[in-house]
Amino acid sequence: MKLEETIRILYDAGVEFVVIGGVAMGLQGSAHLTKDIDFCYARTPKNIERLAKALEPYHPVLRGAPPDLPFRFDAKTIASGLNFTLSTDLGDLDFLGEVSGLGSFQDVLGESDVRNVGGLDCRVLSLEGLIKSKVAAGRPRDLYVLPELRGLNELKKKTGLD
Amino acid sequence: MTRDQEKAVLDLVTNPPPGSELAKAKEFGVDLTLFISTLRRSPSERAQSLSDGARIFEIAKQAKLYRNEA
Repeated sequence: MKLEETIRILYDAGVEFVVIGGVAMGLQGSAHLTKDIDFCYARTPKNIERLAKALEPYHPVLRGAPPDLPFRFDAKTIASGLNFTLSTDLGDLDFLGEVSGLGSFQDVLGESDVRNVGGLDCRVLSLEGLIKSKVAAGRPRDLYVLPELRGLNELKKKTGLD
Repeated sequence: MTRDQEKAVLDLVTNPPPGSELAKAKEFGVDLTLFISTLRRSPSERAQSLSDGARIFEIAKQAKLYRNEA
């Protein structure tokens, strides 16, 4: 996983995104480990175009799909789909147009905090937002992390930590 | 994290108030003391830890592939 590099590439390309999932948990102070990076991205035509262009040099393919399956992560493909799980030269990247329990990019943005990662101010899903999304997703692996997220959220509130 | 905040974190993770979310997390099996180190770090330092952690996944995956090929 090339976290800082990936964030910088998206940032430099002007892509509107919020870091979500396991990486957001880690950036908010959880001890959780993850091997992929999840983003929620804005579904505007301009943003879709920027996202496609930003990732093109890193050879995105659908994760787990047969190698001979024709696939191009271009603006047309992104506009026709919503959520993409990709393998790239930067590592495994997931791009979600919507997040369960929260909604579309604007809703997710409203539940995010600014965190400085490698000198860049980027949007990261808040602990409250993470808890809402995990409850809504409801899979065993989502429910499993809820006690930690709730405990961490309480700890930060009680101690005034950001 | 200020000295006072560090002390408060230490108090809460070593002795979570009964009925609190921290107490529930501890009961669930969460090692609350990990928060002491994670919260001391800046988001950039946390990003580095995440990347290091992901490398462990990659090494484990390669080792599994190697074992399967051998």
